[in-house]
Amino acid sequence: MSQPVRSLGRASAPAGARPGRPPQPPADDATALRRRAQSRRGRREALFGYAMVASALVVVVVFTVAPIVASFVLALFRWDGISSPQFVGLDNFDALLGDNAVTHSLLVTSGLAVMIVFLQVALGLGLALMVAQRASKIVRNLFRAAFFLPMLASAASISIVMAYVFNDQFGVINYYLGLLHLPEVSWLSSTGGATATIVLVAVWQQLGFTFILFVAALGSLPGDVLEAAQIDGASSARLFWRIKLPLISPTVLFASTVGLINTMQLFDQPYVMTKGGPGDSTYTTVLLVYQTAFQNLQFGYASAISVLLFAVLLVITAVQFTTSRKWVFYS
Amino acid sequence: MSSGTFKAPLSRRGLLRAGAASAALAGVGGLASACSSGSSSGSSGSKLLNVAIFTDQASADKMAKAAGTFEAAHPGVKVKFTGTTGTDWNDFFSKLLTQMSAGNAPDIACVATEGLQLFAAKGLAEPLDDYVKRDATELKPYFADVHPALVEAMMYQGHLYELPTDFNAGNMFYNTSLFNSVGVDRPADDWTRDDFYDIAKKISAKGGNAVGYDWVVRLWGSWTSWMYANGGNLLTEGKWDGGDWLWNTFYPNDPAAAGRKGGWRWGDPTANSAPVVESLDYLIQLQKEGLSPKPDVGGGTTLQGLFSSNKIGMAIGGGFWAGGLHNAGMADDAFDVQYFPKWQSQRHLFGSGGYGILKSSKNKDLAWEFVKTLVTPKNIDLLIPGNVTTPALKSMLTAERYATTGPKNWHVFYDTLTKLDDTAPIPAPPYYQAMAIALNKRTTQAMSTGKAKAALDGLQGDLETAAKTG
Repeated sequence: MSQPVRSLGRASAPAGARPGRPPQPPADDATALRRRAQSRRGRREALFGYAMVASALVVVVVFTVAPIVASFVLALFRWDGISSPQFVGLDNFDALLGDNAVTHSLLVTSGLAVMIVFLQVALGLGLALMVAQRASKIVRNLFRAAFFLPMLASAASISIVMAYVFNDQFGVINYYLGLLHLPEVSWLSSTGGATATIVLVAVWQQLGFTFILFVAALGSLPGDVLEAAQIDGASSARLFWRIKLPLISPTVLFASTVGLINTMQLFDQPYVMTKGGPGDSTYTTVLLVYQTAFQNLQFGYASAISVLLFAVLLVITAVQFTTSRKWVFYS
Repeated sequence: MSSGTFKAPLSRRGLLRAGAASAALAGVGGLASACSSGSSSGSSGSKLLNVAIFTDQASADKMAKAAGTFEAAHPGVKVKFTGTTGTDWNDFFSKLLTQMSAGNAPDIACVATEGLQLFAAKGLAEPLDDYVKRDATELKPYFADVHPALVEAMMYQGHLYELPTDFNAGNMFYNTSLFNSVGVDRPADDWTRDDFYDIAKKISAKGGNAVGYDWVVRLWGSWTSWMYANGGNLLTEGKWDGGDWLWNTFYPNDPAAAGRKGGWRWGDPTANSAPVVESLDYLIQLQKEGLSPKPDVGGGTTLQGLFSSNKIGMAIGGGFWAGGLHNAGMADDAFDVQYFPKWQSQRHLFGSGGYGILKSSKNKDLAWEFVKTLVTPKNIDLLIPGNVTTPALKSMLTAERYATTGPKNWHVFYDTLTKLDDTAPIPAPPYYQAMAIALNKRTTQAMSTGKAKAALDGLQGDLETAAKTG
C-alpha cells in the first residue's frame, strides 16, 4: 500500500513565482490540488489493485465460497439432481441423527485421521532431525527431494499403484513375503489389513509436507541458544525435548491442524483401494458423501453430512487451538 | 510497496483493456463451447447427436464408425460418441447422471440392464413403444433374431426402453491347460456343484500359485450366479403388466415368449433368505478350503488377467470373456466355456445392453432413426469389435465369429437363453445404485469375517432402506 500523503506545500512552496516558471496558485490551493491529485491517483491505484486480484477473487468465490454456501443451502432441500429441489427444512439433519452409517463413517475417519496425523508428525519430525544432522548439503538435498517426491503425484494415481502393490493375490509385498517364507497378509481384504494399508499409503504420500515444515523450523532455530545448551552439557535427548521441541511447537501445531483437516477429508485412498471395505471398515465420511450424492442421488442429504463434517472439523480445530496454549511457545 | 510499479497510466490502461478483451474473448469462447457441446443444433442448421457409452474415449472413437452410413444418409447430422470410464456400471451411471444434472444430457445412452429401471423410473429415458409400433414392419427381422428374454429385460412398467444390442449370461469359463494338467475333461452340460468342487480341489491341490476358482464382487456374475443356481434372489421376482402389443406383434407363436409381460418387477428384498445365505456361505467355504482366493471388487479385468496367466482354473464369464482373454494374449484353445453348474437348478443370470433415447433430447425422432441403425448386424459388429460382448442377434453367433478368439464351445452363450428357459436377468431395481454399493460392502464383509448370515442381514436392511428412499 502507498504511504499516507504528507503535506509539503506550506514549507516548500514559495509565495511568488520563480523566474521562468508559470505563476503558481496560492499555497492552500496548491496543497488542495495536490491532495486531490494524490487522492485520484490513490483511487486509481486501488482500483487497479482490485482489478488485479479480481480474477483470483472470482475463482475463489466461484469454486470455494459459492459451493460452501450452496452446500449449506442444499442441506435444507431434498434433491436428486434431476427433478426440482424440494425444501425440507431441517429434515436432513434430523435424519442424520439416526443414521448409523454417518456415525460409523465419522468414527472410521477419526480413527484413520488420528493414526495418520500422529505418524506424519512423528515421522516427519524424525526424518527432518535425521536430515538436519547430515553434514553434506548434497545428501540433505537428496533426502529432501526423496521424501517430498510422493507429494507431487496425485493421491488417486498413487492409490491405483498401491492397490496392485498390496494386492492379496499377486501383489509385490506378498510375493516377497512368500520368498521369505513368511505368511501372506490380507492387506486389502481384512479389516485390519485394509486400515493399515490406507494409513501407510496416506502417511507415505503426505509425509513430505510435514517433513519440509520441520526441516524449515529446525533450520531457523537460534544457534546461540543451542550452543549455550550444549556448553552447559545438555545431552542430545535433553536438547531435543527441552529446547528444540518447545521452539518448534508452533510448527507441530500447524502440521497437526492442517494434517487433521486434510485427513478428516480422506477420500482417494479408500475409494480407489478398498471402496470403503471390506464391509465398511474403511468407509470414510467423504466417501459416504460422494456415494450419497453421486451414486444414490441424494444431494441434499449428502450436503447435510458435509455440513456436519464441517462442524466436526471446526470443533476439533477449536479444541486444538485452545489446548495449544498449554504446549505451544511462540516466544 | 513502491508506487513506481504504477507509474505508467497508459500501459495500465492498456493492460486493463487487454484484460477486458481477454475476458470478453473467454466469454465468447465459453459461449461458443457451450453451444457446441450442450445443444443438439448448430447455427448452420446442422444437428449433433450425442451418444454416451461406458468405455474409454479411444474405443468410443472406433465405435463412431457405426455412424458412418447414418451420417451419409442424413446430411448435416453428426454423431458424437463420448466414452466414460469407471470401475463398474454404477460408476458410469453416476457420471452420466451428474452430466445430466448439469444440463448436459446426451441424446442417446448405452445403458445395461443394471441401469435400465433406474433411468426409466426417474423419467430420464423415453419409452420407444410408439416408435416401435410405427416401424414394426421394418423391425420384424430384428426381433425375430433376438431372444424375447433380452427384450423383456429392456422393459419397465409395460414399456420398452431400449433395443438390445448385446448380452452376457453367467457361464463358467475354464482353463483347458489346467484341466488337462489334472486329467479333467470338459464337464458335461448338466454338471453339478459337486463336479465343480472336485475339479476346483484337484487344481488347487496341484501346487504352484494356481487356484481352482475365482470370482469378483459385483452384481453380475459374482456369487449371485450361485444364488440363482440355488433358487435364491436378492429381491422378490415379479413382472409388470403390459407389453402385450410387443409380444403379439413380434413373437406371436414363439414358445420362448410365453409368460413374458411388461418387464421385471423387483419387489421386497429377500437378501437374507435361506438359499441366498447358503450360496454366500458356499463361497466362504471355498475360500476357507483354499479353493478360491478373497475376491476383488470391480468389473473383472484383473480376474481375466489372472485367468489368462494360468492362475485360475475356473471363473464365471460371459461372451465378453472371449474377447477379453484373447486380448490378454490367451490362445483360442487355451480356454473354453460351459454352462454354470447345477445346484438346486441350473438357472443362469444375464445382463443385456442396448441404446435408449433420453427424454431431454431435442432430436428424439432423429435419435430413433439412429438407434434403429445401431441394431443392424453390421453396426453391432462395429460397436463390439473382437467379441468384447455377445451379440443380441442369434444369427451373428457363428463359428467364423469365434474362430480367432475362441472358445470352441461358443454356442453355449446363446444356448443359455434358448435351451435353459429359466435364465433370467440380474435383479436391478430403480435403486440399483444404492443396491450396488450395499452388495459390494456386505459381500466383502462376509468374505472378510466369514459370516454370511450377519452380512446378508445387513444387506437386507440396506436394501429395505434403499427401496423406501428410492
